Amino acid sequence: MIAVEVDHLKRIFKTYIGIINRKAKEVLAVDDISFQIIPGELFGLLGPNGAGKTTTVKMLTTLLIPTNGTARVFGKDIVKDADEIRSQIGFIFGGERGLYWRLSGVDNLRYFATLYHVEPEVSKKRIPYLLELVGLSDRGNEKVEGYSRGMKQRLHIARTLLHDPEVLFLDEPTIGLDPVGARETRQVIRNLQEEKKTILLTTHYMFEADALCDRIAVINHGKIVALDTPNALKEHVQDLSVIEVEVYGVPVDTLEQLRKFPSIDLVSVEDRDQKQALRVHSSRGSEIVPELLSALEGIRVGRVSVHEPTLEDAYVRLVGAET
Amino acid sequence: MIWKRTRENFRVVFAAFELTVKQSLTDSFVLFGILVQPLIIAVLGIWMLKERGGDYGIFVVVGSGMTGLWSSMVFVSGNSITQERWTGTLEFLVAQPTPIQWVIFGKNLASVLQSLLSMVASYFLAALIFNLPLKMAHPFYFAISLLLGVISFICFGLVIAPMFVMNPSVQRWQNSMEYPIYILCGFLFPIALLPGWSTPVSYLLSPYWTAKALHGASSGTLTFPEIAFSWMMMLLFSVVYLFVSQKLFRVMLRKARMDASLIGQ
Repeated sequence: MIAVEVDHLKRIFKTYIGIINRKAKEVLAVDDISFQIIPGELFGLLGPNGAGKTTTVKMLTTLLIPTNGTARVFGKDIVKDADEIRSQIGFIFGGERGLYWRLSGVDNLRYFATLYHVEPEVSKKRIPYLLELVGLSDRGNEKVEGYSRGMKQRLHIARTLLHDPEVLFLDEPTIGLDPVGARETRQVIRNLQEEKKTILLTTHYMFEADALCDRIAVINHGKIVALDTPNALKEHVQDLSVIEVEVYGVPVDTLEQLRKFPSIDLVSVEDRDQKQALRVHSSRGSEIVPELLSALEGIRVGRVSVHEPTLEDAYVRLVGAET
Repeated sequence: MIWKRTRENFRVVFAAFELTVKQSLTDSFVLFGILVQPLIIAVLGIWMLKERGGDYGIFVVVGSGMTGLWSSMVFVSGNSITQERWTGTLEFLVAQPTPIQWVIFGKNLASVLQSLLSMVASYFLAALIFNLPLKMAHPFYFAISLLLGVISFICFGLVIAPMFVMNPSVQRWQNSMEYPIYILCGFLFPIALLPGWSTPVSYLLSPYWTAKALHGASSGTLTFPEIAFSWMMMLLFSVVYLFVSQKLFRVMLRKARMDASLIGQ
């Protein structure tokens, strides 16, 4: 049986503008997406902010009703069978909210265990086990308000595992965490993967998706633009090399000029403190470097490197470089 | 199966009750509403009514206790869902297998029961500080009246909580729901002092019947049939409130899933 089946799912939000002359405006958040997740798979939903990842997760976790299309979790419809699905799934949303800060971590877990109908004898054993799993054993009796952001996030993971759900929806679980916190959270996800949990992970961190996911759906403007294994996605850009040039203040005109080069597939710029990283995808590899440097004449240039494309390059190519 | 589900739901009610009590103990706003404010009202009541003589002591204790009960109902029970939305826990409460009504019932039960502390505090204030004679005319009738009053307050809380979530503009009137009800329901003064046109409004409010039964049972000014009629009215209102609240919860949850309004700042 398929764990999660999404079939032409669509979600439109209606917002209103103005006070006296109110006008309705429709925003298409998820646009006709379809995919399937098999049991035990770690499936990634990768996309920029506002791509529709969270809306998709909220529909699959029964928190939102789709405008069109259907989705099933272990064959149960997310709208008609919402009550039955709720005991089979667990979910977290990135961020610190969603916990009772004035209570201890243990109190929070005990409360949610009751809501999920976990028998008291079971939760008495399961809560220490989960605190151990997420590395909070020694802090469980402290108030949540004293926890770091990463600890709160790990407590959320423990909360979602209380009723031992078959399917987990992890919506940007490492967002806003420091590198150590993010690494610890990823390790917890790996442990869950080893326990053969079915996981839908949304993220906009490429390396995270690459390191964890069995398959990845790249979503942009509400549509799935690619769906494959991380390696297969990288093959989308195997014909290209990536030339990265450190620049200090590259003008927009120059970028436009570069985009018109016939052998340049994509140009993107990423701000890095006072400098920028100009990334150019080209099938000509290092051959294009002299032309590139002459186009950048008059601009202060730092280190130049040529490397094999990564998942990030595949992602940038798929969603398009806006900058 | 039904027995198992009932047991699980009662466990949820108790968990929500326990959680609310633990949180309230560290919430100065709640402590002010159920302890300090009723005591201030009790002191004012004692000074204003002492010329009246007779059984005014017990009248003030019950009346100021009722103000604590009502304030807690309006602010704590009324905000029980809105507060979950502010803390970001509402989504988790909605997407769990127990219907959220049970959780809110447990929270309301806690807020109403802990607000009875205001009556206890007023009792000690009147007895120990002001040395007033506090004689309960019909303790058994009083206990039944209090029990039914608590039930009707909880049920009323189940109506206003989803109403406040769906209509934030109604919630803005929360402050103005406090003192008018003290007056209209005769918590501290008999409604006979009010203009005649306001009496039917009082009859439509369940706290009026609670106040009437509690005052009548404590001071012995009502006959048993009169007290029993108030009990019946409280039960009737509780059933109506429960029925309305079930509808409101259904509409609220459906609307929230349509409008994505489960999260809030």
